[in-house]
Amino acid sequence: MTLPMPALRSDGRPRGEPLVWLTAMGLSVGLAMIVALLAVIVVQGVSVFWPKRVHAIKLHDGTTLLGEILKTRERRDGQGEELQVFVGNRDSWGNAFRWIDRRAIADLEQPSGVIEVERVEYGDAIGYPVRLLLADGSALDADDPAFRPRIAELVREVVERRAEIFHLERRVIGRNSRAINEQEVLLRRAKRTGDAALAERARAEQQRLKEEYERLAEEATRLRALQNANRLVIRLIDGRERRISLGTVVAVTWPNDMSFSERLGYFFGNLWTFLSDNPREANTEGGIFPAIFGTFVMTLLMSIAVTPFGVLAAIYLREYAKQGPFVRAVRISINNLAGVPSIVFGVFGLGFFVYIVGGTIDELFFTDRLPEPTYGTGGILWASLTLALMTVPVVIVATEESIAAVPRGMREGSLALGASKWQTIQRIVMPAAVPGILTGLILAMARGAGEVAPLMLVGVVKLAPSLPIDGNWNATDIIPFLHLEQKFMHLGFHIYDLGFQSPDSDAAVPMVFATTLLLITLVVVLNLAAILMRERLRRKYQTGAF
Amino acid sequence: MSTADRFQTARSTLLVDRFMTSFIKIGGIAIILAVFAIFFFILIEIIPLFQGARVSPVGQRQGPAGDAVVFGVDEWGRLPFLLQEDGTLHFLPRDQEPFSHRLALAASERITAAAYDQLHQHITVGTSQGRVLRVVLGYQSRLLEDGTTEVLAAPQSAEAYALGEAGLPITAIGFGESHAAKLVTILQEAADGRQRLSAAAFTIARNMLGQVRIEQLWERDLTSLLTGRIDQLLVDGKAEHIVVATADGEVSVFAANDEGVEIFQRGFRPFADLPDPRIASMHYLNGDVSLVFSSVGGANRIWSLFIDPQLQRRQYGQTKVFPDTAGAATVYARSIRNKAFLLASGNQVSLRYATTETVRWQSELPFTVADAVIAGKYDRLLLRAPDGVIHEYALRDPHPEAGLRAFFGKVWYEGRAQPEYEWQSSGATDDFEPKLSLVPLVFGSLKGTFYALLFALPIALLGAVYVSEFMHHRFKIIVKPTIEIMASLPSVVLGFLAALWLAPLVENRVPSVLICLIGLPLGALAFGALWTRLPRAWRSWLRPGYEFLLFAPVMLLIAAVCWQLGPPLERLLFGGDFRQWWPQATGASFEQRNSLVVGFMMGFAVIPIIFTIVEDALSNVPPALRSGSLALGASRWQTAMRIVVPTASAGILSAIMIGFGRAVGETMIVVMATGNTPVMDINIFNGMRTLSANIAVELPEAPHGGTLYRTLFLGAMLLFLLTFVVNTAAEVLRQHLREKYKTV
Repeated sequence: MTLPMPALRSDGRPRGEPLVWLTAMGLSVGLAMIVALLAVIVVQGVSVFWPKRVHAIKLHDGTTLLGEILKTRERRDGQGEELQVFVGNRDSWGNAFRWIDRRAIADLEQPSGVIEVERVEYGDAIGYPVRLLLADGSALDADDPAFRPRIAELVREVVERRAEIFHLERRVIGRNSRAINEQEVLLRRAKRTGDAALAERARAEQQRLKEEYERLAEEATRLRALQNANRLVIRLIDGRERRISLGTVVAVTWPNDMSFSERLGYFFGNLWTFLSDNPREANTEGGIFPAIFGTFVMTLLMSIAVTPFGVLAAIYLREYAKQGPFVRAVRISINNLAGVPSIVFGVFGLGFFVYIVGGTIDELFFTDRLPEPTYGTGGILWASLTLALMTVPVVIVATEESIAAVPRGMREGSLALGASKWQTIQRIVMPAAVPGILTGLILAMARGAGEVAPLMLVGVVKLAPSLPIDGNWNATDIIPFLHLEQKFMHLGFHIYDLGFQSPDSDAAVPMVFATTLLLITLVVVLNLAAILMRERLRRKYQTGAF
Repeated sequence: MSTADRFQTARSTLLVDRFMTSFIKIGGIAIILAVFAIFFFILIEIIPLFQGARVSPVGQRQGPAGDAVVFGVDEWGRLPFLLQEDGTLHFLPRDQEPFSHRLALAASERITAAAYDQLHQHITVGTSQGRVLRVVLGYQSRLLEDGTTEVLAAPQSAEAYALGEAGLPITAIGFGESHAAKLVTILQEAADGRQRLSAAAFTIARNMLGQVRIEQLWERDLTSLLTGRIDQLLVDGKAEHIVVATADGEVSVFAANDEGVEIFQRGFRPFADLPDPRIASMHYLNGDVSLVFSSVGGANRIWSLFIDPQLQRRQYGQTKVFPDTAGAATVYARSIRNKAFLLASGNQVSLRYATTETVRWQSELPFTVADAVIAGKYDRLLLRAPDGVIHEYALRDPHPEAGLRAFFGKVWYEGRAQPEYEWQSSGATDDFEPKLSLVPLVFGSLKGTFYALLFALPIALLGAVYVSEFMHHRFKIIVKPTIEIMASLPSVVLGFLAALWLAPLVENRVPSVLICLIGLPLGALAFGALWTRLPRAWRSWLRPGYEFLLFAPVMLLIAAVCWQLGPPLERLLFGGDFRQWWPQATGASFEQRNSLVVGFMMGFAVIPIIFTIVEDALSNVPPALRSGSLALGASRWQTAMRIVVPTASAGILSAIMIGFGRAVGETMIVVMATGNTPVMDINIFNGMRTLSANIAVELPEAPHGGTLYRTLFLGAMLLFLLTFVVNTAAEVLRQHLREKYKTV
């Protein structure tokens, strides 16, 4: 037998103290990792919206650049640092981003009077304003005091008209062309069933819709012509002058002439645009509203599907099933299903929901739309159901735990008073278990909102033409306004797509960080809510037992 | 109302109760079954992969009896034809009258040799008078009024080629076509047995009037290059090689080029080791890279073209050996869609698949097979008996390239120098051979998991021991939720950060990262040793359980120093640039998106899981054990390591297993942070492709019900089983542990 090692070393110090510090390192590293990660996301994500100053960068070789300094990094050869500068004007210079060696810089300044023009395409233009060429043929020079108010007013007009055009083209004309397609489907149905009256009606309706389309298209053309009436001339840093049609302008800012409060205003303005607008330019500009909405609707549908099923299964397991080795095995298996990789659920969703269930629905109800699949392809309903299946173990486990935590005495009291088993569950057990069920549901929602891999198989897309809920009631729809078969956008997939499939990855990075910040915020808030609720519950049961 | 009635429960209550009881029971069981149905559904989807071919007779039709020079069929398998020696082409539709077409031959001219190109539907024939003619079969399919299709044939004689010795009967012929020229090779034999082998290349030029003019580019007499009696002759479809077999079983290959022909590979014998090395038949497999040989005794082997690693040049070598057929397999048919081929010997028919080296179907038929053909879509077999009856069989073999050997064994693919595990599911050409080995993917999954655990385990275990054993309990309410938040980070976010933020950062500073990995634990130990040497008065300033607060700034300092130490070390040891040094020193590649980055980011996903479970397991160790140990005079480290950790060891093991399960199935981090190349290479600075990433990348493009689709389901099944088994084992361990605590 080996003698136990004395606890104190010969010099009287306890053994193993340095190793305690080693374990402390484990914790410190873990905490530092999470703090650093969140810090990176928050700093990068927030700085996307903060309006940056524009620098005039004079280089030793005599050239000057005008742009926003985005970040610095070490040179690949280890010799000093280089700066990434956003110089804009992609149409003039080919690439909107430049890397500049810090040692090549002779002078840096922030010249006032620089204008930054955000455009519908080609990103921002950066330069000095020269004059405004107005529709009536007159010109307004940049040093005229009326210049800035005038341009602000014109841009506001243009933006409003653009919204109008957007509404007309996307919503009205979109609805019109969908309706024309619908009549086409009806015609096919009429042919199949031999219904001459229906065919006649569909043909007449189609004719009417086509005429309406002509009228709407004309109106859109008229509005577009108005858009391009005024032009802004700016001088680039190399002296060239550029004409920018105001019809392409989204916003005009004077980045070096802004006070702090103005910048703050722009910050929130940008944030709002990001949250409420549609994406532009292969998703690298504009907002992410459809992705937020898609994520929201999908998570909602998932919760609607997962709650009753999860709760029902949990009640069965805890209250009705005979407790024994079999139920224990089932319980362990359900617990383990939560550990099955999410992609496996995606594979199931694609094979079962999309191809088998969706294919059958198409054959039964949407015969006339075939071979164009309606439900037989990925869509928001299948995505929600797939995620519901993935998260149902989470809800079952949470519900079971909270049902088990309801004190026996409460149950027995109820039964002793003559209540039936169901009454006891309904009136005594469930109310006490609701917070626990909600905790499980919130955790499930957080997991569902952040999951991407299975969605890639069952219906998420980089750009959805329309939202899953809108004002459209198509002639051959079964449910009005709610288009469950529609493909949708999702925050998590948006991150993947922007970061990895984007043609201009430099331009996409800010957008990815902003989206990441939003997703992280959403997930962290949901999780914190669940944690707080669970803590409160724990305290309640510790004190409030019979 | 009597008193008895007053205590009677209302009927409606009872009814509702009874209804709810059955509703919950049925509903609950149904839901639980539905959840487990995932397993069965995936299982059902993968079963067809392991099924052999199913062949069933669908009918027969009478054709002319006697020998056929060529027996073939259109791509839809509807209208077989038969070319007879006298130059008659018989077409034999199933429900209509047969019709025929006569080739323009001289009075006594006979067709003595033919080469049939099933892909392009033309025949090159050689005649008894030494002429070479080409016949285009002119198959067409036409949509009829009632929605069915009709297959028509409009055969037509195309060019005639002149080569060899005029008038000498042709006994074998080969035809191939490259973009530059058409290569014709003929074997002629005089009445005295003298043989002459000639090859010639032709181009076809069209003048302005649309007249076709055939120009001969070159002609070579190959007879002198060979010894022995020539028996069989083949030209590959791309007009690159001429393969000649002699009667005693020796094969020689000539390569054709712009100027003529040269010896490519001389004198190999596919059956040299057999008592009877004679070759009964020799044919190209679809793709014209592999030769299928069958011997007179029934042996069946495949030789393929690949680059010999020793000779450093392309040549034919034996790659596959199949089970013997009953006798000499003189009848051969190949699929033009995949690597399947059919051999018939007497009345035995055997359908084989070259890639996987398996017999898909084999049967003894009630008739002798004289000719066979596989329809273009690999869904019909047409077998012709000598009495002229054509037996039609439906062939259902949707996944011939699948099978256990294809998924988990080494397979010798065409063009490869040895059998390999390889994943490459799709290719650019029609005759592409899908490579469906799951081994590189499983390897990739395990590699990613290995590096993730290598990084995550120390941090998670040390952190959990500290939190549960040494840390002041007031910090628990902050630390544990923080770690839970870490667990909830969406993996797409981690993957994005890994690829676009961490990978470029680490790429420039690999030495710094390596120093940090060594420096941090050493620094912690050194700092701890220093701290315990401080005078007691100083030490008492820090209460026990607060160490990590003091250590956090120290750690940042150590990390910063290590980070700065990187570049000098890089100059000193790695010649200034680690990214160039690594491939030179180890021969392994260096990629920006590598396993180091994946391991680090996957750590984010795994650390919280392991941490939470280990911390739970340690905290659940009865406090009496701890108190006892401390009371006996053990230090807090000794108590933790000798008492608490061993008691909770089962829980720790189960945590590691659950962490493993999480890392194995992780998808988005791997998809984004690696190059997704399916290589088998343990190198940390290289990427990989995991099972899960493979599904995410390939399944959206895989056609429903195809082999790739089902193979990806098989990958999903593997993941499912792997994680499910590991997690169940972990759970059982944990329950066992809980039982143990009860008795302590």
